[in-house]
Amino acid sequence: MNPVLHRRHLLGSAALGFGQLAFHSLLNSEKSQAAEPNFGPRAKRVIFLFMKGGPSHIDTFDPKPLLDRDHGKPPPFELPRVTFAKQGNLLKSPWKFRQYGESGLPVSDLFPNVAQCVDDLCILRGVHGTNPAHGGAVLKLHTGSDTFVRPSLGAWVVYGLGSENNNLPSFVTICPTLAHGGVNNWGSAFLPQRCQGTPMGTASTPSKSAQIKFISHPSLSQADQRGQLDFLKQLNGNMAETNPHVEALNARLESYELAYRMQTAMPDAQDLSGESATTMKMYGVDDPVTEDFGRQCLLARRFCERGVRFVQVTHSDTEVQWDQHSNLYQGHTKNAAEVDKPIAGLLKDLKSRGMLEDTLVVWGGEFGRTPTAQGTNGRDHNPHGFTVWMAGGGVKGGMAYGATDDYGYYAARDKMHVHDLHATILHLLGLNHEKLTYRYAGRDFRLTDVHGQVATSILA
Amino acid sequence: MVANRSSTGSGFPASLAVGILGVILLAPLHSSAKESLPAEQVEFFEDKIRPLLVEHCYECHDSQNGKMKGGLALNHPGGILAGGDTGPSLVAGDPEKSLIVEAVRYKNRDLQMPPKTPLPESAVKDLEKWVQMGAPDPRPEIEDHAKPLEGMSAEEGRKFWSFRAPQAPELPDSIEEEADVIDHFVSKKLNESDITAAPQADRETWMRRVTFDLTGLPPTPEEIDQFLADESPKAHEKVVDRLLASPDYGVRWGRHWLDVARYADSNGLDENLTFGNAWKYRDYVINAFNEDKPYDRFLIEQLAGDLIPAPSTDEIVATGFLALGARVLAEKDMEKLEMDVIDEQLDTTGKAFLGLTLGCARCHDHKFDPVSQADYYSMAAIFRNSVNFAESSTGAIHHWYEHDLASKKEKEEFKEIDNEIKEAKKAASSYKSKIEIRMRGEARALAVDYLTACFDFETQDTLETVRAIAKPLGLHPRILFHCRRHLEVNKDTDVFSHWWKYRAANDREGARKFYEDKFMRSTLAFEEQKKADPKKKELEDPELAPYHAALFEKTGFLAVPAKSAHAFTASELAEYDRLQEEARLLESNAPDYPAAMGIADREEIKNTLPIHIRGNHLNLGDHVPRAVPAVFHEKEVSFPEKTSGRLELAKWMASAEHPLTPRVLVNRVWGWHFGTGLVSTTENFGVLGDSPSHPELLDWLSSWFVENGWSIKKLNRLIVLSETYQRSSHPTSPDIASTDPDNRLLSHFPIQRLSAEAIRDSILVVSNRLDSEQGGKTVPLRNRQMVFNHTSKDHTTYESLRRTAYLPVIRNHVYDWLHIYDYPDPTMPTGNRPTTVVAPQALLMLNSPLSIESAAAFSSRIRREADGTTDRIQLAWRLAYGREPNRDEMESALSFINQSPEETEHWDLFCQTLFASNEFIYLR
Repeated sequence: MNPVLHRRHLLGSAALGFGQLAFHSLLNSEKSQAAEPNFGPRAKRVIFLFMKGGPSHIDTFDPKPLLDRDHGKPPPFELPRVTFAKQGNLLKSPWKFRQYGESGLPVSDLFPNVAQCVDDLCILRGVHGTNPAHGGAVLKLHTGSDTFVRPSLGAWVVYGLGSENNNLPSFVTICPTLAHGGVNNWGSAFLPQRCQGTPMGTASTPSKSAQIKFISHPSLSQADQRGQLDFLKQLNGNMAETNPHVEALNARLESYELAYRMQTAMPDAQDLSGESATTMKMYGVDDPVTEDFGRQCLLARRFCERGVRFVQVTHSDTEVQWDQHSNLYQGHTKNAAEVDKPIAGLLKDLKSRGMLEDTLVVWGGEFGRTPTAQGTNGRDHNPHGFTVWMAGGGVKGGMAYGATDDYGYYAARDKMHVHDLHATILHLLGLNHEKLTYRYAGRDFRLTDVHGQVATSILA
Repeated sequence: MVANRSSTGSGFPASLAVGILGVILLAPLHSSAKESLPAEQVEFFEDKIRPLLVEHCYECHDSQNGKMKGGLALNHPGGILAGGDTGPSLVAGDPEKSLIVEAVRYKNRDLQMPPKTPLPESAVKDLEKWVQMGAPDPRPEIEDHAKPLEGMSAEEGRKFWSFRAPQAPELPDSIEEEADVIDHFVSKKLNESDITAAPQADRETWMRRVTFDLTGLPPTPEEIDQFLADESPKAHEKVVDRLLASPDYGVRWGRHWLDVARYADSNGLDENLTFGNAWKYRDYVINAFNEDKPYDRFLIEQLAGDLIPAPSTDEIVATGFLALGARVLAEKDMEKLEMDVIDEQLDTTGKAFLGLTLGCARCHDHKFDPVSQADYYSMAAIFRNSVNFAESSTGAIHHWYEHDLASKKEKEEFKEIDNEIKEAKKAASSYKSKIEIRMRGEARALAVDYLTACFDFETQDTLETVRAIAKPLGLHPRILFHCRRHLEVNKDTDVFSHWWKYRAANDREGARKFYEDKFMRSTLAFEEQKKADPKKKELEDPELAPYHAALFEKTGFLAVPAKSAHAFTASELAEYDRLQEEARLLESNAPDYPAAMGIADREEIKNTLPIHIRGNHLNLGDHVPRAVPAVFHEKEVSFPEKTSGRLELAKWMASAEHPLTPRVLVNRVWGWHFGTGLVSTTENFGVLGDSPSHPELLDWLSSWFVENGWSIKKLNRLIVLSETYQRSSHPTSPDIASTDPDNRLLSHFPIQRLSAEAIRDSILVVSNRLDSEQGGKTVPLRNRQMVFNHTSKDHTTYESLRRTAYLPVIRNHVYDWLHIYDYPDPTMPTGNRPTTVVAPQALLMLNSPLSIESAAAFSSRIRREADGTTDRIQLAWRLAYGREPNRDEMESALSFINQSPEETEHWDLFCQTLFASNEFIYLR
């Protein structure tokens, strides 16, 4: 190999793998150019529990007594200039809120299990976004832009922090939805390809059978494939040796070896047979209702243990999403029943393994729902005020931060725009959202564009 | 008044001061009047106002600390008075007209400060009072340096290299033929740097290089033999002319342009609707390259083909260029959407044709290039005169505009087809509701059984437990499961509190009797009531009404699961899926209405467009007229009253004297040949772009290109026949890695990885599988059909064996083969694809069906066409690499084959390994 390697040349051609095996130091120097962590990170990795469709904040983590009182009355406030659908009168929550834990934070009856972990939650009640339609809002939440294709949050995190496991992708998204932005929600856009999320299955795949594409050969034995790779090495070696000035040729040799190792690393990460019955039960893998999402959450923990930086777990029912324009009661009951226990299981499990300390868990949907009714028993999209919660990874537990107004329509106090949420997540990972930039087409791009403010009061 | 939207950012409206330019009634009491400020006013300021400003405002509006968000400084009196981007933030003496007061009152949702949390009420009162007093401000005046123009003025811009007309470089007399000019300029630079050029590549290498380069396909062994045997001095030219005349040329070079045009067969972004007519634009581009359509004409057609007098269908189709962008189709705010679309069109047009990042000037003057915000809105004013959306929609999802190409008869026919599809969809949904109605009836009949069965388990019990209880009783497990949860949540209601009492007493019979009685009586009572008044929907009896309501509530304790997979039996589910699938296929396979994506002029033409302050469509500034950017004003362009001005804009861009258009194109072509342009940033010829490695050559080529009728084929020919292009890829200088690591001086030919398309196509060629049919629709969905719904199922398949340029391009879910091999994001214009080496590429080669099946076909081909291991290996080498294997290679191949020479699968594996090898996908 030619000792005089030109760095830029390398970076252009030889960014390896899911990880960054061969040119670790070089990629590190790219990393340091990209981001200089100027404060200690509290979290090393993120699990993002995405509830597709828009769960209602006022029926889950943000109780509104006035809504009960004024049920059925016209809203005593001005509606936004642009709403998704026609708004009716105020609609009270069908669920009761109870106080839990030492913090006494209220959680509705939809989440009795998550409620047990409330002292670990930092409930952000003043979150707001920009776009009242699913597609725009999902993109905004995942990429910071509802106007153009931009790198996703996970891609920025990987770009800033690199990988901890070279045999696995740094950013895995389990059973993501292909609707409403699809790949863009885990894509790298103009960031290096290695930053993009690797999907395991899609929302239409049961998590039990979700796989990374092309991770195994349909019929060839490992030994035969090893023989093939040895032959390939001879073929490739020729061209690589005679062209030492083209580093990509050598990188390709490595990329095949890495792919070969991934074929074992990935099934190993996915193999739940070593998990105890207690663990399986804790995540609800033993129950048909919670099995699918429970498996996703358990996989998330297993990926995190193996150094994956960013794991997204998506609850996106193919028929009944968290999008109750009608039948709020029935739809939310079903969806919450599917995720409540698995999420609580994940939090408890991370905690007992000491992983919650440096794993940031984020829960939320693309927006909340209106306190006004749509039809008789539904709620419309509401990007103006909703709840996202975080746990672990350097945030204060047992805390509610921010508030919506008396009826839960608008964020009103300690407001956090989606950009602020992104800035705060990056901060917790030791990344300054204003310095994590990438130059593309003559401009320095940021996840937070020209916005974003870190919510310092929630930092532990 | 036009308000600023707080929701565009992190809650920070672009500026406090919003387009109110009310008359200032009183001069504020500041600086000059300072000495005469009454003591009590000074005290009030120091006591109440200064602390408030420091605590709540300075974080963002303190010019001394470099914070002037929205252009507003609140740290000195003049700053407050001057206000932010759009004017004064207070009118001394008049709180009602002062934006600072309006903002802190938090009543206007589009103007709220401080952005995160409102001020305490007392602070608001203090501010009001202060403004009422005349805003007395004892702080010293600070000179805020008017922000210097960050970018470049138009005048400065005219001096920047890319905005100057190409210079005619001096050519030495020794150059006799145009063919030598390229080599002259390249050698000149090499000599200056004392680098020796590599010798010419051998003929096999050049043959493979030029064939891939011009057609995207490998040369056949016969073509190679023919060329090697041709000893005439014109042998190279013959090959080049043959390749340029091949229809495969257009597939390869048209595809290059499709990268720039961010071509796709679906919208992607928020909602993924099929661009069922995009293929017409794709075919137009491929044909244009095959016909060698003059580039100036090509440009005009794409920007304004519809405005050419009596346009042909092709010219109308060409305007698809402006319609292909990814749009947020479900955006509720139509005015925002229109401006976003125009931004995308301007940005793409700028990058594609002019190498200008115009999009950067949407919110503020360009930070580097001579493009002001006024220039941006002058250009936007031209595009604002066009229609981008159709009147139809799919629910909340807007449809893009299409040119109607249907005859009257066709219009009628399509109404029928649309109806059929509608009916088929309805058949599926009515089947679903029919079953649900039946299930509800069944559940009601067993209502009491459901309630008593709930005695036997707890809410947290698993569905398995519930199933065991439900089965023997003939109950639906999911309904029972939900029923128990309903009881939990409705503990305190009239209807269900009784259940809890009976359960506490473990009195199952009591519960049964109680509910049987209530349900029975309420049902009978309702029947009676109906006889008397059939219109009444609810039972009026106050005792029984809640029971009746609970029993009939669709989402009550007997709710049928909303998810059909949870509710239906296996056979019902299969039937429902079948009906849905039938409707889907009917739609997918239905013919498309004859139309073409594109844009057209609006009926009402406007001459001006207001500047959108900070890019915000709710914060409008001065109107600017349609114009090209000021930096180009040496040549006046006038815009007609009656048409949008797109045609005039296009003609101006395509004029022979335009400093950018020919340079940008020539540079693209150079980059497509050599892997890197003379200016490596093909979309950016601005200040942050690369400067040309060979400025004289770039200028000479540009002028030559225009003089030669803007012919791209002539340019291709000139380049590939140059010595520079024919050089070996082995550098001669040993220290090249330090002297010219990027090979910008082209001392040798750069080794290039094949594009995703060329890799797949050559696998298909070598394995004899390629289907060479050209043109036509290939996306298996109807125009405007949803590509993805919540099922996240991708119905697009890529089993076709046609050239890759004809595979569907689904935004948001690009075909793996393309995506993994660096296919560009089809929402952004790309002139220069990156080349990465990542492990998923290896997985694709090792494990994908395309690779495995093609290897088997390749293997059977060599076994069929040659006898004996050595001959077969030789043939494989000639097909895969365009050359004979050397001795070492033959040896390793033999030793691999001989592990299992009789086994077909082993030969397949051998062939697959050739696909995976460096030489197969790298061009020397």
